[in-house]
Amino acid sequence: MFALAWRNIVRNARRSLITVSAVALGLISLIFLWGFNDGVHNTMMRNLQQVIVGSIQIHADGFFHHPKLVHTVPDVNRVAGLLKSAGVAHYSGRLRTFALAAGEDSSEGLILLGIDPLVERQVTRMDSKVDQGRFLRDNQEAACVLGRTTARNLGVVPGDEVVLLSEDRYGSLAAERVRLVGVINSGEMGIDRGLAIVPLGFMQQMTGMQGRYSEIVVQLQPARLEAVASQLKQGLDQSYEVLRWYDMYPMMKQWVELENAFYYIFLSIVLLIVAAGIMNTVLMSMLERIHEFGVMMALGCGRMQLAGMVVIESVLLGVAGIAIGVMVGMLLVHYFHGVGIDLSDQMDSITRFYLNPVVRTEIDTDHLLNTVLAVLMAALLAAVWPAIRASRLEPVEAIRHV
Amino acid sequence: MADILIQAAALHKSYASGDAVVKALDGVDLVVERGAFVVLSGRSGSGKTTLLNMFGALDRPDCGTLTLAGQDLLAMSAAERARFRLRHLGFVFQAYNLIRVLNARENVAYVLQLQGMDKKQRFASADRWLAAVGLAGFEQRRPDQMSGGQQQRVAVARALAAAPDLILADEPTANLDSHNGESLIALMERLNREEGTTFVIASHDPTVIAAARTLVTMQDGRIEAVNHL
Repeated sequence: MFALAWRNIVRNARRSLITVSAVALGLISLIFLWGFNDGVHNTMMRNLQQVIVGSIQIHADGFFHHPKLVHTVPDVNRVAGLLKSAGVAHYSGRLRTFALAAGEDSSEGLILLGIDPLVERQVTRMDSKVDQGRFLRDNQEAACVLGRTTARNLGVVPGDEVVLLSEDRYGSLAAERVRLVGVINSGEMGIDRGLAIVPLGFMQQMTGMQGRYSEIVVQLQPARLEAVASQLKQGLDQSYEVLRWYDMYPMMKQWVELENAFYYIFLSIVLLIVAAGIMNTVLMSMLERIHEFGVMMALGCGRMQLAGMVVIESVLLGVAGIAIGVMVGMLLVHYFHGVGIDLSDQMDSITRFYLNPVVRTEIDTDHLLNTVLAVLMAALLAAVWPAIRASRLEPVEAIRHV
Repeated sequence: MADILIQAAALHKSYASGDAVVKALDGVDLVVERGAFVVLSGRSGSGKTTLLNMFGALDRPDCGTLTLAGQDLLAMSAAERARFRLRHLGFVFQAYNLIRVLNARENVAYVLQLQGMDKKQRFASADRWLAAVGLAGFEQRRPDQMSGGQQQRVAVARALAAAPDLILADEPTANLDSHNGESLIALMERLNREEGTTFVIASHDPTVIAAARTLVTMQDGRIEAVNHL
């Protein structure tokens, strides 16, 4: 039956080739668009996590929405033990509070973030975003790194002094004079404006919070995110909160999901075109062979066998198109992953979305599989009507058909 | 007592043709014994092909009774009739009706495949039947690479391969020249004689009629005469 179906496809090679090409072309465009889409989305999500947020943050319960200096992680050692058992080698402890930064002529409210420069390098890439001066080096140095907009607003450049005003653990005023050593240009407004990064040891000293941490930041491969988060939640009581990056910044995930939904709508439209193309070919082929079908029925071929053969022909067309489409589509994705697609000209409007100027295509396995399965389903559905028509033929009438 | 293969009684079949009703069969009674070589003769429109279609479980009469190999064909569903055709019947058509994407061996093996025989066995069987109809060496040829006579021989081999109780042939020599026609009928006679296969052939070809051992003459949907020769 399979061999017969295959030969029926080859019988009208040109028509079959056109159909297979249409399926392949549809799939190539879908795979490439998914590649671009996933390349953009994954870059954004990676950048969000890798630049500053991390994959998971552990706080005292309620800290994320109501941050207070004294509201620190209850037992850092317990968290460290859990992370070790979860196979997490690197994590960073930070201290966070609100502060006022003052330059020569102006001041600005901001978040003061204390990090251990050496540890932080193993967890995030915030040091790579410094475009003037340098990143922090020493955990105790009286130095800070500001975002580009904040530095401009304060009128300071690397080498200038900045005064930081905050509260200490007793609610008293804590003030320190620090030297601006670097300016970050991340393209993300939340970092470039309203953030001052200082050494953790220095900040703990300044605020009287020695040995205390506001957040523990963990960086993970995406595939491990849910498992580790679940393990941490199970291991920690209600005095902690374990937040994945998208729990903290749900908008980005929602935006990605919304865009994916649009792609699925586009996918549906392409599938309709693909299904119509396949159905046209299979139906034409079936109508041309009514007489032959009558002969086959006379010889003892059952209606379901006949319908099955029509379905197999349709699926074969689909599978041939899928094979070519996946091969060429993945080659394109692989090629543009290497060379990238330069969007520098549009960068001004999109840098806030953690996007790199050069988009490197990549495709998520589930998107590839869903698309391939959908095309296969379209090929199957395209065969339904021709198969029903074939199965309803009456042998005598079919044999008489010229 | 004779072994009866086909027993038809009071078969009626009418078709609408425009406003008119055409009586294709008008009370046909016929008994065919196993091993017979029957020729249905008569002019075009006499009901030969309609009767053949009834025997072939391809069509149903409006009324009457019809049993074949002891089974009531009229009580069968479409699926049961398809299975019956597969197990009990072989067909030879006027226009050969080989499946044109298959070669001679595959055409013959097709019914064996439908019967569920494995590939090696059915190809071996197909080759034997092709040799039996004088087409050894033609196994790989497609229908469009063979003459009409050769194609019809393949059709006979296909009909015989499934070891049917009955082979039904509708004007099998109509598209053949006289030499090939005679050769085909001689082949059918030989197979009838040697294999014991029952043949019912609808034809108005004098060569075929001359070969009949039972000649059924039809006119206007009725059997005019049954002559055992």
